[in-house]
Amino acid sequence: MNVLVFAEVVENEIQEITYELVGKAKQLGDVTTLVVGNADVSNINSDVIQVDAGEPLPWHYKIVEKVFEKLKPSAILFGNTLTSIDIAAQFAAQLDLPMATMVTDISAKDDGFVATSLVYGGKVLVDLALKSPAVFVVNRGSFPAEEGKGSVGNVEKLSLEELGVSDGIEFVGYIKPEVEDVDISKMDIVVSVGRGIGDEANIELAEELAEVLGGVVAGSRPVIDSGWLPKTRQVGRSGKTVTGKLYLALGISGATEHVEGVKAKNVIAINIDRNAPIFRISRCGVVADVLELVPVLIEKIREAKG
Amino acid sequence: MPMKICAVLRVVPDLVEEIEIEETEIVPFAYIANERDEHAVEEALILKEKAGGSVDVLGVVDEDTASDVDEPLAMAYAKGADNLIKAILSRKTFRRYEVAKGLAEFLKDKGYDVIFTGIQAIDAFAGTLGGMLARCMNLPYIGGVVEVDVQNGTLVVKKELGGGLLGEYRVSTPAILGVVSAERPLKFVPFAKLKKAMKEANIDEVDIEVPEIEGIDVLRYYEPPKPEITLLEGDPEELAEKLVEVLKEVSVL
Amino acid sequence: MDVGEMLETYFERLSEVSESERYKQCLQCGTCGGSCPYGIASPFTPRRMILALRAKLIDEILESGAQWLCTACYTCSYRCPSQIPLTDAIIPALRELSLLEGNPPEELAAALMNTARYGNPFRESPRKRDSWTKEVEFEVPLMSKKKEADVLFIPECFGAYHRRCREITKAFAEVMYLLGVDFAILGNEERCIGDLTRLCGEFGLFEDLMEKNIKTFEKYSFNRIVTHDAHAFNALKREYPKMGFEKEVLHHTQFLFENLDKLKDMFNELDYTVTYHDSCYVGRRNGIFEEPREVIKAIPGLRFVEMKRIRENALCCGGGGGGVWLDSFIRNFLKERPAEDRVREAASVGADVLVTACILDVPMFEDALKVTGLEGQLVVKDISELVLEAIR
Repeated sequence: MNVLVFAEVVENEIQEITYELVGKAKQLGDVTTLVVGNADVSNINSDVIQVDAGEPLPWHYKIVEKVFEKLKPSAILFGNTLTSIDIAAQFAAQLDLPMATMVTDISAKDDGFVATSLVYGGKVLVDLALKSPAVFVVNRGSFPAEEGKGSVGNVEKLSLEELGVSDGIEFVGYIKPEVEDVDISKMDIVVSVGRGIGDEANIELAEELAEVLGGVVAGSRPVIDSGWLPKTRQVGRSGKTVTGKLYLALGISGATEHVEGVKAKNVIAINIDRNAPIFRISRCGVVADVLELVPVLIEKIREAKG
Repeated sequence: MPMKICAVLRVVPDLVEEIEIEETEIVPFAYIANERDEHAVEEALILKEKAGGSVDVLGVVDEDTASDVDEPLAMAYAKGADNLIKAILSRKTFRRYEVAKGLAEFLKDKGYDVIFTGIQAIDAFAGTLGGMLARCMNLPYIGGVVEVDVQNGTLVVKKELGGGLLGEYRVSTPAILGVVSAERPLKFVPFAKLKKAMKEANIDEVDIEVPEIEGIDVLRYYEPPKPEITLLEGDPEELAEKLVEVLKEVSVL
Repeated sequence: MDVGEMLETYFERLSEVSESERYKQCLQCGTCGGSCPYGIASPFTPRRMILALRAKLIDEILESGAQWLCTACYTCSYRCPSQIPLTDAIIPALRELSLLEGNPPEELAAALMNTARYGNPFRESPRKRDSWTKEVEFEVPLMSKKKEADVLFIPECFGAYHRRCREITKAFAEVMYLLGVDFAILGNEERCIGDLTRLCGEFGLFEDLMEKNIKTFEKYSFNRIVTHDAHAFNALKREYPKMGFEKEVLHHTQFLFENLDKLKDMFNELDYTVTYHDSCYVGRRNGIFEEPREVIKAIPGLRFVEMKRIRENALCCGGGGGGVWLDSFIRNFLKERPAEDRVREAASVGADVLVTACILDVPMFEDALKVTGLEGQLVVKDISELVLEAIR
């Protein structure tokens, strides 16, 4: 079967989730990835149709529609992002196609598909049967990205004029965050430190760990209050809520006020105190001295990444 | 340019309370206003402050949840909404496309300049309302909205793109906007003011015929397997290796 | 609201509180501002608030945010030579205007909305209010089953839900159990007693909570209420009677003191130095100073030392009057928290253990230990935890 992947592009760069989608799509059939914009597509492990239409816009569902007519794919995969979901929903409605959102798994079954969605704030899984062709909006981190990376196959370039589409929405420009700091609530990987890390100098260690993991450093209130990290990095009731893929808690005991701000999918905690409450919300708890373990961990991660 | 504004307000199971997971259905203990829709209502009221005009709040419920939207509607009224409408769907459905089609039928001749919806709901696994409604009504749609202004009769919309990055867009009216969060915190309504609004507010009811559209079915609902809590102990070398494995499991590495 | 409407709403609310007319007798002496833990940082101390009210500059107070720089510690009210109800009326009525304008500090707004919806500020299910009872090894009787008891025990929200404070609830319940007290709880029928809502100006919600709680109380037969929550104690003792509730209400320090003879026979020796923090709504507001000291001093082996600021002059932990939910707001004005000042004081007199009697104290002080680096040197315990340790 033919599978179409809609690439996630931000500021003219292919985002990681695209590779996750391509990897999964390859298990389902022959893959073509549709890329809107001029991003470098050389690492996408599939054929590519690239449309010169600037940054992705909600009305680009019309582009997907044209490509759909051309390729007749059985499955169309989008990432569950604020950009792609606008396009996916309109595309599915326009073509009367069944659509599953919040998808964490897809398999082909009989003439159609079975998809699994994670809903009700992560409390419920639902298995759905969809007729082919079907639209899937897939959660970040559901599939490994490696399979989707490689060298690109055939690249076909199309212009917007050839497709003949437009609508009442016009892109004006990007607005970079006004605060010079990152928004920890939107980061996928957060390495967070508590007073258990000892003193300010050890923040560097956490920063190094965050760097190898591709995340950022945050902290509990006592750490912020001590001035070791800026207020923008505070997790908890009087700070921000983290919702990403991983929350790695270093020397954080896990007071109620702190835990309220931890809504990440996976919590890993390292703490010397085996009774630390943080372990209760952790997928994995490690009883160890942060200062002893983290340097070794950084080494091992570097090795694992090659 | 005074605007005729509509905001969609749905109720969803309140996850603070228990929900019962049965194979064929989810049985919630209580319902609560969909958080993103509360932000849509707030942004609608903010746009009214900026441009003038009126805000109608459209509560979307089925027969079972019909009374659960009364308080959220009164809340919107206490904050400054002009008209309250309760759209009662003819049947329960998880298919957003069916809801969109039903609502489009009702909304198409109401002359709204802007229709706001929340970008998502916790119970949405088959479509998203805003974008689907836009196609049923043939209107432009943009989601992820965090701010709306009006310049020379055109909407200027800020959309969240992730990682703190925003995009700015011009959107011609009429249009549908999917709100992720309003540009200011939700207005607080004291208890006495809410109770007063509940007495005073008038809610019009309309019946919405939900069409049947095939193509997607629920096979089963179930609880996700609980992640096992493992407390690891040992020497740093060994622990670091185990942690690397866990990081791979959660696809961070 | 324009300034005229604000003033009208404000003075209407003020007129509902007895003694509120006293604000007219303000001498502008400044004792209040000098007594206030936030006086140094506040753009409007109580004295300046009254001055501004007289000048019809109410909008300026509200815009400054000064109405939220108050932990309701009651020191200003206690010391005011004109006995103006600053904590109970002047400030909450200003806060009410902020609520009506719809823009209180966000964390506090969430706490109030949660209290209205779930009967607790934590956004926890009302059906889990009794979950702490499953973590103790003895049976905690429920009023719904027992129907009558000598003592109705009120754990209140922090005692029922807050992870650290639940330990205090469990400790006090165990002490009662070991003393053979005939007690019961309302379990999931209990809802927030509401002193927080009152002190934050959410008067409509407070009234609703009182009505509902009293209705629940009336279903059962009991002689008195005992609670370890100082704010619940205060509201039940001082505010609920205004709604027709007339049962005796005891704070757990009073109850422990009442049972001291029996406890003395059960005490084992403890070997460390303790000091006692006079919590605002135990001491200053409700005059309970001796009872907790007597209980502590009766434990053999303990060495008791006093801090400098004690009794009526004790420093607040900063958690009351919504302070728990105002931390990030207040931090915009002030760097050091009162709790940090207080734990340093406790450590300076050589205490190993800081004993408290208000449930908000423990999380506030334990947090302060982390910030001040005193963790490991000083331990915070509620008096019921200390007593349990001595009799176990």
